[in-house]
Amino acid sequence: MFIVFVCLSAVYFLTPVLLNKAAEGLIREDSLVKADAIVALAGDNRCNREKTAAELWRQGWGDYVVVSGMAYAWGFHTGEAARRYVMSLGVPGEKIFIISEALNTRAEARALDDLMRERGWNSAIVVTAAFHSRRATYTIERAAPGRSFYSSPVPAGSPEWTPHAWWSRREDVYVTVREFASWANTLVGGWQ
Amino acid sequence: MMRLRKRWTYRVLIPLALLAVGCVALFFALPSLLIAPASMAKSDVILHGAISKHSAADKYVIDLYRRGVARKIVCVGSQISRDLYPGDYVRESLISQGVPAEDVISLRLPISPCAGASLPRIVEFVKANGWHSALYVTHPEDSRYSDSLARRFFEREGVAFAVSYSPEDREELTRDWRRTHWKTQRMVGEAMIIALDRFYSECR
Repeated sequence: MFIVFVCLSAVYFLTPVLLNKAAEGLIREDSLVKADAIVALAGDNRCNREKTAAELWRQGWGDYVVVSGMAYAWGFHTGEAARRYVMSLGVPGEKIFIISEALNTRAEARALDDLMRERGWNSAIVVTAAFHSRRATYTIERAAPGRSFYSSPVPAGSPEWTPHAWWSRREDVYVTVREFASWANTLVGGWQ
Repeated sequence: MMRLRKRWTYRVLIPLALLAVGCVALFFALPSLLIAPASMAKSDVILHGAISKHSAADKYVIDLYRRGVARKIVCVGSQISRDLYPGDYVRESLISQGVPAEDVISLRLPISPCAGASLPRIVEFVKANGWHSALYVTHPEDSRYSDSLARRFFEREGVAFAVSYSPEDREELTRDWRRTHWKTQRMVGEAMIIALDRFYSECR
């Protein structure tokens, strides 16, 4: 009976700790190093990634800002909207590049590799949501070997995702579970 | 001792194997579980919510409008980038294809964690315009869930509700879906949404 009580108590107290640790494991944050470009990956409808990239540019961490998005049949491009937003934050238009057809992280990584080759860039700071930062940087590093990438995610705790007690918020559960599934897909080289 | 250990191994392995088989069966059954039959019920308004990169629902919505299924169209959606509401563009597109401008409205919704959180706002909008019935055009994989979730919100307020989707969208989504990243992502994503919403009161 005592052993059962101890085990149940351990599960009760350790589960939140392990779940928090698992979520924190999704985050990769590197020390900042001056790079050729600062890349804001697509997928944030609040544009906090683009805002963070513009702030890093203003602080002098990169020469160019790259935003990412997709063209839609109705005549708009989410990358163009992101570009306009970054310009409104003080980054000159000629310093901004757009990656198109960002259907998923792997497609973005390939497009970024092409752009970096074309422009002769060797390093980039990757800005994305905290939950996406480890997988995004991993995917980009594999798509563009020989170049240097530094992860500087949007601070965790932003409206997009908070790792602490993530299971208590519907949106964070969805994002976290989906990210673990995406990791599995990335590691086994599944759906492209 | 060995026999006892073997028995416990079987007791653990058999449920695990059954669970794995269940998950695989569930995965293969996703299209039939998620996609409900499309309705073409005559309504006061068409709520156009099938706005995405892979949708051809505009044609379907125009076709429904021309056949007199409804006399108004509302393009529903939240922003997908800074101040970028796809519904605004869809409205322009429908107008350019011959739908009178006074019959198409874009309803901008705030970003919300789940559909259940934004439904009250849509219901409120429908009621404020004096409409008593709505046909919601959505993505095929969302049809069965919308039919149960949104119906509750609408019918609670006395608004008749039906769900539909473009047959072209259904055909495209279900064609070779297990081998296509975005199709699998949408199916599995929808299944996750349905499962998660049950645990959070704001989404039910």
